[in-house]
Amino acid sequence: MIAQLRNASPRREAVFMAVAAVILIALPWIMPYIGGYRELATRILIWGIFALGFDILVGFTGYLSFGHAAFWGIGAYCSGYYLLHANANALVAILIGVAVATAVAILLGYLTLRRHGIYFAILTLAFAEMFYYAALAPLQDWTGGDNGLTGIRTPELFGVKLDGDEMHYFVAAWTLLAIYFARRIARSPFGLMLRAIKSNETRLQSTGVNVYRYKVTAFAISGLYAGLAGTLYALYETYVPTESLHWTTSGEVVIMSVIGGFGTLIGPMIGAGIVLYLENVLSASTEQWLLIQGLIFMFFVIFLPGGVMEGLQRLADWGRKRHESATEAEARGAAPKGASAPTAPLRQRSQKG
Amino acid sequence: MALLDVGGVTKRFAGLTALDNVDLKVEAGSVHSIIGPNGAGKSTLLNVLTGSIKPDRGSVVFDGHGLVPLQPYEINQLGVARVFQSPEIFPELSLLDNVMVATFAARDGSYKLNLFEHPSRAGELRQFAEEVLVDVGLEEHLTMPAKHLSRGDKRRLELAVCLAHRPRLLLLDEPTAGMSQTETHSTVELLRKISATGMTKIIIEHDMEVVFSLSSRITVLHQGRVIADGPPAQIREDEAVQEAYLGGVHL
Amino acid sequence: MDIGSLALQLLTGLQIGAIYVLIALGLTLIFGTLGVANFAHGALFVIGGYLGWLISSTTGYWAAFILVPLILFGIGVILERGLIQFFYRRPVTDQILVTFGLALVIQEILRWIFGGSTKPFPPPTWALIPVDIGIGYYPPWRLIIVAVTIAIVVLLFLLLRYTRFGLVVRAGMHDPEMLRFLGINVTARFTLVFGFGALLAGIAGVIGGPTTAIYPEVGMAMLVPSFLVVVIGGMGSLPGAIIAGILMGEAVSLAVLLYPPISQVIVYIVAAVILLWRPRGLFGHKGVMG
Ligand SMILES: Nc1ncnc2c1ncn2[C@@H]1O[C@H](COP(=O)(O)OP(=O)(O)OP(=O)(O)O)[C@@H](O)[C@H]1O
Ligand SMILES: [Mg+2]
Repeated sequence: MIAQLRNASPRREAVFMAVAAVILIALPWIMPYIGGYRELATRILIWGIFALGFDILVGFTGYLSFGHAAFWGIGAYCSGYYLLHANANALVAILIGVAVATAVAILLGYLTLRRHGIYFAILTLAFAEMFYYAALAPLQDWTGGDNGLTGIRTPELFGVKLDGDEMHYFVAAWTLLAIYFARRIARSPFGLMLRAIKSNETRLQSTGVNVYRYKVTAFAISGLYAGLAGTLYALYETYVPTESLHWTTSGEVVIMSVIGGFGTLIGPMIGAGIVLYLENVLSASTEQWLLIQGLIFMFFVIFLPGGVMEGLQRLADWGRKRHESATEAEARGAAPKGASAPTAPLRQRSQKG
Repeated sequence: MALLDVGGVTKRFAGLTALDNVDLKVEAGSVHSIIGPNGAGKSTLLNVLTGSIKPDRGSVVFDGHGLVPLQPYEINQLGVARVFQSPEIFPELSLLDNVMVATFAARDGSYKLNLFEHPSRAGELRQFAEEVLVDVGLEEHLTMPAKHLSRGDKRRLELAVCLAHRPRLLLLDEPTAGMSQTETHSTVELLRKISATGMTKIIIEHDMEVVFSLSSRITVLHQGRVIADGPPAQIREDEAVQEAYLGGVHL
Repeated sequence: MDIGSLALQLLTGLQIGAIYVLIALGLTLIFGTLGVANFAHGALFVIGGYLGWLISSTTGYWAAFILVPLILFGIGVILERGLIQFFYRRPVTDQILVTFGLALVIQEILRWIFGGSTKPFPPPTWALIPVDIGIGYYPPWRLIIVAVTIAIVVLLFLLLRYTRFGLVVRAGMHDPEMLRFLGINVTARFTLVFGFGALLAGIAGVIGGPTTAIYPEVGMAMLVPSFLVVVIGGMGSLPGAIIAGILMGEAVSLAVLLYPPISQVIVYIVAAVILLWRPRGLFGHKGVMG
């Protein structure tokens, strides 16, 4: 997937972005026809940005964070606080939220990335919980404690109130930017270094690369994306709930990414769409949406760890194989059960402790 | 002056002295072999040279730089590359990308925030990477993930990754281990070819045929201690060496 | 504040720490032997709490105290055989993800069965009436928690030191490769270890449930500090987990006394400070895990 992406020509890239733009903008119009509502599209894009940035860390370097709620939440709280107490300027609100979230990400990256696998997952989870509990009690004068930040004014962009469709266009623009830059990063030498980290850190160290700094940078980038998504969420909801910092938010982005498929950039965004869409549809008929979500997640982890993207890839391979053996059979007039060219599995694996 | 000067290096692991006051001088342009029975401390010595293990005592000086306090990546950037005992490559990356990582590291140093560099800008590096791959005999399947390679080919790839950096000192830990006769043969040929470029090498090897055909100097380690050091002809005659290898490999 | 109330507060810290210790010991055993960080361990704790509440309100507390750990042992064995064992050879990331998914599913099943509200899970009435322990009046329940924990810890150490099972577990914690090499039936021991870890979580749930309150999310709320206890103890070190658990309990308890708003944050602050000072934890050594 990424290998293909690296070789894409500028023209194909332009076509890709144009198609993406059309889809992002059309989404609110499609939603009502498939059992959603217009604003659901905006929500999906916001979570899509979150998942996209998350993939740059987890999908590329293989470091699974359980603490990205921290950056989403800090972004949301900071921009919410600005809108609440200062001004309605959407761009300034975003700038503040993203800057603080990224700064915190750099700091936490330095602290947590000295360790691998399990250790890293636990430490990120713990630090995020620290922010959650800090917001809940000691900082409640600023964060509104249990109530979160309520009564945030509708943000404005050059005098235009960002509400409903305007908000959607605004978010769609950010999403396009996010996709564009993520794909540039994936294709850059920097992106190659990240994939090398996932593949073999020892080799990378011995190849003269300061692995730690690359990891911190990847962490900061994913924190920036999370912060951006969090600020957009605050702007969109005009409300910052305490859950923004809670581990369930970190868990949500993990679930979306797994269902969509880590390491594919577009997969986690699709995962965000699937999760939010199903939540919307199923919540109407059952109280047990979270249980269903958990079971779907387990299904993917157990049977299809590469997510929907791996599923699609397998389907495509299967189809091609059938096609190939069919044409082969035609050509030879017999039906040999031949193996076609081995295809590389989509998902990268590495054993890291 | 020697390119590499190891002085009095000692390393203990929980009671076991893996390296005991080891001295080693490697001249520029030479092929220096380190031999010794299993567990003699050969790989540990390489670990000290590349910075992945810090010695308890002693100094390592490479071209005027003290290596002991440095990180592995800093040592590599100074021009010391290593082929590991069991091949360390990037299994999920394509052959070409394996080498590209090294070419980028050679061009950009240990870290560069080039987030948006377009792949088309790396055309020259790519060409160089392909050449290096051809040099080690891997000219096919350049876009195939490296994990599908045979063990021998993985080692060739690792060698290519090291060479892409144009190191001044190349460390090879048992480059022919686990290889068939023909693979061993072509590897020796390959190493000869590299030697012709004047690159300094340290080779750890159990295959004495390989050792004596390649080396300009040999150091023998036994239980963490240097028991002999000299040109191949002298080592062949050395009694302590015969003793250490008694029942082991025949010289 | 007088010495007496400080001493009582420290005692409460010991009790809070005791629950952390029980959960953390199970985590450490499982992590040390199987190499799996069990994100579902908090969920096992909650199952223990709910079962304790259910059994004690129908049959009586002591029945709960005996039955719950046994049931949890059974659940642990089933989970290991039915799910966890298939992940030993998969990437660490997948192990984390599957136990995390398990935690979510268990939490939601519990919510489905018992509802989302907090269950009152009172210990036996006599254990709530404060008694004079010399430095002041104190509810015996908390003392019992500490005593039970001490007994468990002693039993655990005897088990590890003097039984063949213990030998294998210790060897496994030291060097997992070695076990396979020795041709020991690792599979059966792994199942036992997981079951045993679950049993400890069950004990924690049944004796700690009354102090933490029982609701579906309390599992995660207890898991995160317990994980931190494991980490700052030095991952894979049992004595480390005990000392770190007590330290955390005392930190929480003193925060409640001195400045209540930070009582839930203090765990993380202490952990951050310790890890900055000793990145591998108090008893951590290189080589166990990254
Ligand atoms: N990280 C370590 N911790 C503990 N002991 C170690 C470690 N690394 C090596 N050793 C021990 O040090 C001794 C020397 O090991 P080393 O790998 O250097 O030997 P070697 O000469 O490379 O052997 P071989 O020919 O088998 O590769 C061995 O006894 C080994 O068990
Ligand atoms: Mg060796």
